[in-house]
Amino acid sequence: MRQLILNINDFQFIFSLKAEKAKGRFIRLLPAFGNAKLMTSMEAGSLLKCRFLTSTSFRPAAKSSSFPSLPPIFSFHFGVSSSSSSSSHSPITNSKPNYRVPKPKRDWIADWVSQNDDTVRTLPIYIGAASLLVVLFNRALYGIAPVADASSSQSRADLLTVALAVTNVLTGLVWLSIRPKSIATVDPQGVECKRVCSPLPDYAVTELLWVWESLSDVTRCRSLVIVYENVCVLQIGCAAEASSRKGEAVNVDADKLMRGTLYQGVIKSGAQSYLANLSLYPGKSELPFLPSNTQAVILQPLGDKGIAIIGGDTIRGFTTSDQAWITLIGEKLDSTLAKHARQLQLTSQDSI
Amino acid sequence: MNGISLSQSIPLKPRSAFRAKTSSRKSSATICARLEDSQQQQLNLSVLRFTLGIPGLDESYLPRWIGYGLGSLLLLNHFVDSGSTSITPAQFTTEILGLSLASASIALPYLGKFLKGAQPAYQKAQPDGAEQIFVMSPSLAGIQKEDLAWASYVLLRNTNAIAVLISIQGAICARGYWNIPEENSSKESLLGWFQEKVEKVGLFDLKDTLYFPQEADSEFQEFLPKGACSLLVQPLLQVPSQTANGPQNPEGFILLASTMTYAFTMKDRAWIAAVADKFRDMDKLANL
Repeated sequence: MRQLILNINDFQFIFSLKAEKAKGRFIRLLPAFGNAKLMTSMEAGSLLKCRFLTSTSFRPAAKSSSFPSLPPIFSFHFGVSSSSSSSSHSPITNSKPNYRVPKPKRDWIADWVSQNDDTVRTLPIYIGAASLLVVLFNRALYGIAPVADASSSQSRADLLTVALAVTNVLTGLVWLSIRPKSIATVDPQGVECKRVCSPLPDYAVTELLWVWESLSDVTRCRSLVIVYENVCVLQIGCAAEASSRKGEAVNVDADKLMRGTLYQGVIKSGAQSYLANLSLYPGKSELPFLPSNTQAVILQPLGDKGIAIIGGDTIRGFTTSDQAWITLIGEKLDSTLAKHARQLQLTSQDSI
Repeated sequence: MNGISLSQSIPLKPRSAFRAKTSSRKSSATICARLEDSQQQQLNLSVLRFTLGIPGLDESYLPRWIGYGLGSLLLLNHFVDSGSTSITPAQFTTEILGLSLASASIALPYLGKFLKGAQPAYQKAQPDGAEQIFVMSPSLAGIQKEDLAWASYVLLRNTNAIAVLISIQGAICARGYWNIPEENSSKESLLGWFQEKVEKVGLFDLKDTLYFPQEADSEFQEFLPKGACSLLVQPLLQVPSQTANGPQNPEGFILLASTMTYAFTMKDRAWIAAVADKFRDMDKLANL
């Protein structure tokens, strides 16, 4: 599984800033960086590790608009000087000074909430419930009659506090109600394959492979088939194993696929079709090249001459954002493949 | 699905084995509540969700308004009453608790923003005084232009960005809403203006993703659209053709600005990184 990893190892940079004389401020910062691993949610499909640099407590005392301007000799340096030999050193040209840009500060609260999602959702409920008990206990402890009397300031304060406690409890319950349901992924049963239509030029092949890498890294895509001008231009990822040829993937019968109802329906509507739970669709039999336990499929038309079939390993695993991106990627693919339609047509005729 | 069901009680075992309950009623209703594993069945809490139906009003901020309102009333109650009589310890305790709850209520919408499945409260807004532009360096080859045009379009369309700037191997592609000085109206002067700003900020040899979710640093404020809150800078790294898995050289960046705070979710950042990967082999396209 391809991983997009920004290999940032140990960073050290000394960031010194000298304010103008009128501001009379000198700030010297020696930050210690801690790398924060950012894990995607299940829907992202794979591990996408982005290590964001963190900064220490450096913050300009004034707002950014009144940030002191620097004399030319003191400039921000940006560049990577890694202490580890595993990362590469980028060649710094002599013509450009080695600038550095201040790094964004780490958002502790956002990180903590993201990592403790379940706890945060229930926290307001516990706070509200505990507060209700404290209010009752407070009245009992001081011997105040359990009667809500509007003329009594104590009762008014108690009522307001109870209302706030109930607000917290209800908010927690609403947060629980909007918690995304976690659905287990299903490992596709099949064989790995990578078949690319040979007559295509290198840049078109590169683009096709980029589409596969992007979909497999960012979404729950585990299988990708692209058919254009009656030719299967790409079959990659996990595919159903051919019964007659062990270890080999089932070939995509482009003609049969394009005569089928799934393809015809998608081309006629011109819109993407999302089969969120493939097991419920009888049209599944038209996709024998996909692993038998493929959970969800997106059928993306490529203009009116092709289709991209994206198989996923999770029911309802593709988000609306994924669908939007796949739609626009489909338009790009159509534009690229249309330039080589003639070559594909010749390939299709040769195969008949 | 709510786990409450009604079923008739039926004696399950012969009388010799178990004593079945008998009742004068012909049928008796048995109410059983079943709370199963959360993965299979959840409590139906969706009844608590509601909308006031007021366009433009985000109900997720209701706890904050309630916190402000009731907290103010608590303070009012305290000061109105403190003039006449002394505050009792019980009331003082309650008021402290109430103000703490009010503070918690005020903070709840902020915390809710970072929960999984949370939707942004509002959409991106057009910055004041900005005009929509689309410029590209003339030195780019045809296919490079096509790729950059598509990438800038898809980033503006599918993310909360209102402005995008792609710099690769010295070439510039800028699209979206930018506050351009009036004297830079021609294409050449626009490109020169962007180049100058990029050099001034110093985004060279960028290897790390920079994400400012709330306020970009002052160095960027000079050329970002007015009102830009979130800023994301994604490096473009190229792998030398000789070694497929060799060290990656920084060749440019993709800069995205938005008028929303926390505009780019983790999913957005993953897709932006995927778009940046598209330009890995940009130098090969230059000869086409």
